[in-house]
Amino acid sequence: MKKLLAAALGILTAIGGFVDIGDLVTNAVVGSRFGMSLAWVVVLGVVGIVLFASMSGRVAAVSGRATFEIIRERLGPRAAGANLLASFAINLLTLTAEVGGIALALHLASSVEPRLWIPVAALAVWLVLWRVKFQVMENVAGLMGLLLVGFAIALFQLGPDWGELLRQAVPPSPPGTEHPASYWYYAVALFGAAMTPYEVFFFSSGAVEERWTAKDLGTNRLNVLLGFPLGGLLSLAIAACAAVVLLPAGIEVSSLSQIVLPVAQAGGVLLLAVVVLGIVAATFGAALETALSSGYTLAQYLGWSWGKFRRPARAARFHLTMIVALLLAAGILMTSVDPVAVTEMSVVFSAVALPLTYVPILVVANDPGYMGEHVNGRVVNALGTVYLVIVVVAAVAAIPLMIATGAGS
Amino acid sequence: MRAFAGRADHQGVTQQTGRRRLTAAGLALVVTLVALLAGTGCVASRQEPGQATAAVADALAEAGSAGETARIAVGLLDEGRVTGPVADTVLLDQLRVLDDAESALTTLVPPDAATAARRSTGLDAVGDVSDAVVAARSWVAVRSGGDLAGADGVPSSSDDLLVELATALDATDAALAEAGGP
Amino acid sequence: MTSDARERIVDARLHLLGRQVLDADGEPVGAVDDLALAGPEGAGAEAGREAHIDAILVGPVLATRLFGGRVPDSRLPRIAWDDVGHVGTAVELTVPSDRLDAVWVERWVRDRLIARIPGGRHDPEAEE
Repeated sequence: MKKLLAAALGILTAIGGFVDIGDLVTNAVVGSRFGMSLAWVVVLGVVGIVLFASMSGRVAAVSGRATFEIIRERLGPRAAGANLLASFAINLLTLTAEVGGIALALHLASSVEPRLWIPVAALAVWLVLWRVKFQVMENVAGLMGLLLVGFAIALFQLGPDWGELLRQAVPPSPPGTEHPASYWYYAVALFGAAMTPYEVFFFSSGAVEERWTAKDLGTNRLNVLLGFPLGGLLSLAIAACAAVVLLPAGIEVSSLSQIVLPVAQAGGVLLLAVVVLGIVAATFGAALETALSSGYTLAQYLGWSWGKFRRPARAARFHLTMIVALLLAAGILMTSVDPVAVTEMSVVFSAVALPLTYVPILVVANDPGYMGEHVNGRVVNALGTVYLVIVVVAAVAAIPLMIATGAGS
Repeated sequence: MRAFAGRADHQGVTQQTGRRRLTAAGLALVVTLVALLAGTGCVASRQEPGQATAAVADALAEAGSAGETARIAVGLLDEGRVTGPVADTVLLDQLRVLDDAESALTTLVPPDAATAARRSTGLDAVGDVSDAVVAARSWVAVRSGGDLAGADGVPSSSDDLLVELATALDATDAALAEAGGP
Repeated sequence: MTSDARERIVDARLHLLGRQVLDADGEPVGAVDDLALAGPEGAGAEAGREAHIDAILVGPVLATRLFGGRVPDSRLPRIAWDDVGHVGTAVELTVPSDRLDAVWVERWVRDRLIARIPGGRHDPEAEE
């Protein structure tokens, strides 16, 4: 019974932890402009992140080594250093977007200016990192994030023409008003949003934090296999809400406040409150994960002592890194940059950075020196190779598409 | 305890190969990032007649999107399906969009008389939508208990407001059709 | 290297460089950023001659490995090879990190910053 409960908890937190500000914004923007015609990318991204996260969780559980230690061992200090620089910068961009997302969501709830919320949000994130136990942090953020299920409820209450939504999705038929380059630009952005690289740093380091061993592999696989696809359904519900309410009115999503309008229309104030709370929790959880990831990557590369399971004083430079990252994120946001614009930028650069972490993990997951009998099976490797191609193509295409479309406008 | 570093050379075990290539790759990455961040920030005002008309159409599409968003928000608040703060935030965000649309039009240099006329019609339409959204915000403030009674431009009912929005949106649609938009 | 009276071949580049260094309590200390070599009887290491590892170098030496240049030997934080107990997937030391000069940065950040913030010594795993 206790085992069952623990398994259920793991799955639920995986669902609640799947959606972050990148998924939220990108799915709504895509839904309002392209209907469900990019739903296939969400499916592609979910399969990818399931594959990727279960592989990095397995590597961490079996070898006891987290991603960046391995990347440095495998690539040498120079290539790994370049990798670290890029990964750290993009992770910082994502952290900025998440903290901005918390501020925007609190703005919705209170109508107090977001700029006043930014320092509060950053301080709250730091306090949790400083004080709260890893498992508690994970579970509370994940369970609260489940409130985003409000988007799915809203979709049912809206009573859409399901056949029409399906027609948009299969086979994908982009609206004639949009340029094909924009379509592909958003395909890459959506892929980057679903497969954000920080999930991998967080997943592998989290496995070390929670002291996983080879015995926990089954739980890991179950959480990822059930939790992420259900989280992906939430992403699709967000896109579908926008496609049902905003697309016919000719509305292009450019702010968080527009994303919740379909929810208000379907469920009124109560459902709206649930979803706004869910957005606060989801962005807060993701801010915790990205802040931790900034500490994980740097500390693992340089061999510093790291981990939330240690007293802060026993991992001093790790905690200092997270404090500096949070200060930087808050500082960037205080320049009045639009957090939604930062988010759109961060998901595209996430797509660019994907091969940097994906390739080393794929290589190590095949190395019996680290993995023993737990190396990749044939099916996983076949899928892994297919995704290698997809990830590289998306990374290469991202920046040219961004320039050609003027960032999708 | 002794350890033998079998393959040690003069520089200890430091590896020299490939440094230059990697530095070049790093530099290229940084340059791309900087160019991108700079490039996405500024959208050039379009000069060719066709491009200028497309820029007018883009701005009008943005204004139309903002107006439609405001219409939904007002309708929802009227039905009590949304809270005052959320409705206010929605409208505030749309005022920013309208600001962008207006500045895109004002900074445009029309290459010929026809484009100049389209731009001018477009500016009027965007202005109408802005006025309606500003009025909507005052109406939201009144509904949330603000003391604006008797102030100019505060619509007495949501119906008046929705009519004002609809008129402005019709003008936008007409201007958009003229500029070759959808 | 000799360990447990059993000879084992260790490739410095493959099995030492970049590896995690753990102290006697299993706490991470740093990574093997470079190695200081010495020739027989305290002479300098020469190419083609027998050499042994004198110390593990950690910290700023990594920057000179990546970008070139030299740091004076006296400025290189080093961990004497005599303090190494076992080389596995990580390099394990026989001394606690508090006794190592090489980790002064971590100690400085801890004593001057992190430990001074309220709760800095709080154990997150403890039940409240």
